[in-house]
Amino acid sequence: MAQDDKRIGASLAAAACGLLGSAVPAISRAADPAGNWDIDSAFLYYGESDGRVQDLSLTAIAVRDYGDDRKLSLDGTLDTLTGASPSGAIAADRPQTFTSPSGGGTYTTPAGEIPLDSSFHDTRFALNASWSQPIARLYTWNLGVGLSSEYDYQHAGVNSGLTRDFNERNTTLSMALAYGMDTVRPVGGVPIPFAQMPDADGEDDGGEQANRSGSSESKDVLDVLFGVTQVLGRHSLLRVNYSYSDSSGYLTDPYKILSVVDPVTGEPVVRTPPPGAEGPDGIYLFEHRPDSRRRQSLYGELRQDFSGKVLQIGYRYSTDDWEIDSHTLEGRLRLPLGSSSYLEPHLRYYTQTAASFYRYSLAGDAALPEFASADARLADLDAWTLGAKYARETAGGSEWSARLEFYHQVSKPPAQTLIGNQSGNVQMPDFDAVILQFGYHFKL
Amino acid sequence: MGSPCEVLVDSAHEQLAQAVASAVAACAQRIEQKYSRYRDDSVLTHINREAGSPTEVDEETARLLDFAEQAWRLSDGKFDITSGVLRRAWTFDGGTRQRRDPVLREVLPLVGWSRVRWNRPWLTLRPGMEIDFGGIGKEYAVDLALAEATRLGTDPVLVNFGGDLAASAPQRDGRAWRVGVEGVSTAHIPWTLELSHGALATSGDTHRYVIEDGERRPHILDPRTGEPVRGAPHSVTVAAPTCVQAGLLCTLAMLEGAGAEAFLERERVRHWVQRD
Amino acid sequence: MKADMNLNRKLALLLGLSSLALGACTHVEPWQREVLARDDMQLDANAIDTSLDDHIYFSKEGTSGGRGFGGGGCGCN
Repeated sequence: MAQDDKRIGASLAAAACGLLGSAVPAISRAADPAGNWDIDSAFLYYGESDGRVQDLSLTAIAVRDYGDDRKLSLDGTLDTLTGASPSGAIAADRPQTFTSPSGGGTYTTPAGEIPLDSSFHDTRFALNASWSQPIARLYTWNLGVGLSSEYDYQHAGVNSGLTRDFNERNTTLSMALAYGMDTVRPVGGVPIPFAQMPDADGEDDGGEQANRSGSSESKDVLDVLFGVTQVLGRHSLLRVNYSYSDSSGYLTDPYKILSVVDPVTGEPVVRTPPPGAEGPDGIYLFEHRPDSRRRQSLYGELRQDFSGKVLQIGYRYSTDDWEIDSHTLEGRLRLPLGSSSYLEPHLRYYTQTAASFYRYSLAGDAALPEFASADARLADLDAWTLGAKYARETAGGSEWSARLEFYHQVSKPPAQTLIGNQSGNVQMPDFDAVILQFGYHFKL
Repeated sequence: MGSPCEVLVDSAHEQLAQAVASAVAACAQRIEQKYSRYRDDSVLTHINREAGSPTEVDEETARLLDFAEQAWRLSDGKFDITSGVLRRAWTFDGGTRQRRDPVLREVLPLVGWSRVRWNRPWLTLRPGMEIDFGGIGKEYAVDLALAEATRLGTDPVLVNFGGDLAASAPQRDGRAWRVGVEGVSTAHIPWTLELSHGALATSGDTHRYVIEDGERRPHILDPRTGEPVRGAPHSVTVAAPTCVQAGLLCTLAMLEGAGAEAFLERERVRHWVQRD
Repeated sequence: MKADMNLNRKLALLLGLSSLALGACTHVEPWQREVLARDDMQLDANAIDTSLDDHIYFSKEGTSGGRGFGGGGCGCN
């Protein structure tokens, strides 16, 4: 071809040979790293003390680089939850009987123990996909979708964001928006707020129980995030995020209840089920939360390199119109061990103030508040996590890792929510949990 | 060299790594001292001062001149080491360039390898002519440094002189060296390449540019006419077995202007062109 | 075009100044980023651990999020 005649490649190679003398290499291999799937997978076990919740999950995140800074990320999680969670009812000095959510039967809690509802065995599947690409000089755009599904709950969400670089990528500003819609189909139907836990109907057929307002409810969540990433120097990086979140719709937990107690003793009042019926031997009311929650949070993270060791410190402050204020402080220190493995200890401290409508229990003689919940997750709460991760790189560039963490949670009802003689014998469902994770990171 | 130079050695032996680093540094310094346009005592400055009478050059300079001549021939005169004096015909006023026609008229006759008498080892430049090894010197230093490094041991080495690189082998664990290519114009997101063997050279407008029509354009002149090359890309990166080959192909691609990609496709070399 | 670039420059200048105001901020050139480019210095370095932890804390505590998006909801809070 005439075109080929104009090629100078061979002559150029000869010229280079002449210039460099001997030892001119014959090959060149350079490529875009695009075209590889980078896959991180993990198997996790989560187990709480005292026969409570246990969770097993399998996750994988796969990222593919299409060159020119275009990336596709896919992730999926499968997890199964078994065990019992506190229902919100308080311990009594006598055994207590409750109706299960499906209405098929009852369960009894021994005296002096916090009632746990153990009727859940649920499998959840979640899938997320996101795409990011540059859309102009210095601007990158991303779009993500997510779905998750379990027996009584479905979620669908979409998010999108924009980042812009300044100062030769020393500063990056980002902005993102997310919208999610969740639907809940509680076992036994959506409870009417503050309605009484009904008697069992003996049929575990998934049908609607008494005191229900319908079979499903939904909620919308809108999140906005603004972030700044700033390079502080050759060895450190700072990220600060401000986010605003607006949830509206059904925010109540359909399975949680509150105990109605004697105003003087603070003990749960006694109820006798009608003859021939099986049902609760106390008065337990379904909880009711506001139908809107607006939250703001400020998050900062610093990454600092100390000749190969990396310290990561993060702090988050969050406040909302449920009056839950929280502080989270978390640190990780990656310590390389030789050239192919590392040990990373981890410490986290979390503290929150109770929601304005959190109640330990409800007094039998008082008017019902507008909103109330005895869910310990909405009380004054402190939690500690201490753990470490060990990872080792293989000859082919893959990485195996193992992570063990211990979680300790302690909660407390605000003093003003206690009734009668309760302050002497408050029992909160504090717990410890262990997290064990095995991971494998590889390229395809 | 006008840019940071580094060498990466993937070795378990600290002494070897030190020896390689010293050898590479020595190589860079030697070439810099010998061929820098800005040094009073360099061989290049001496040659340029002797313009008008025959100068005898050493063996290494002779080989570089042979290579430059070959490049001039293979590029139909587009690549010309005597074209440096053309810079006198352009002034920069806050980013816009002005051509000073009277100066251009004076300077054009001083440009052109055909006007040089090269009879190894005697080089004769006409009075007022100048040569410089821009586009060859740094790349030659990289290839030389890599050769020095591989003579000292078999561990994988990556030499990087300000964005002109060469690797002797991939890293010991089998992974290629990850190279970041400096972004175009206003430091667009830099991107990465994986280099296992051979060389990479990049030529671009990050350091010498003009603003035309609100766009940043490289300042590249066609030595045959003194005119700027139209439609040159923001940057070109080429992979080739040696750095001198990669560097020359880069420069030639830029000189092709709008035809840069077509030129590189024809040469069948791995290339990355940034336009934007 | 030109006005746009001026605004961009002013914005960049403002941000540059405010980031300087953060104190002890040194500008890092692209060729000085060898440490910042390491995998363990990326903000999403422990992505899978963080996402699994966030899911646990979301179901056991009263606050969630703040770090970014991605990840679904569940019926646990």
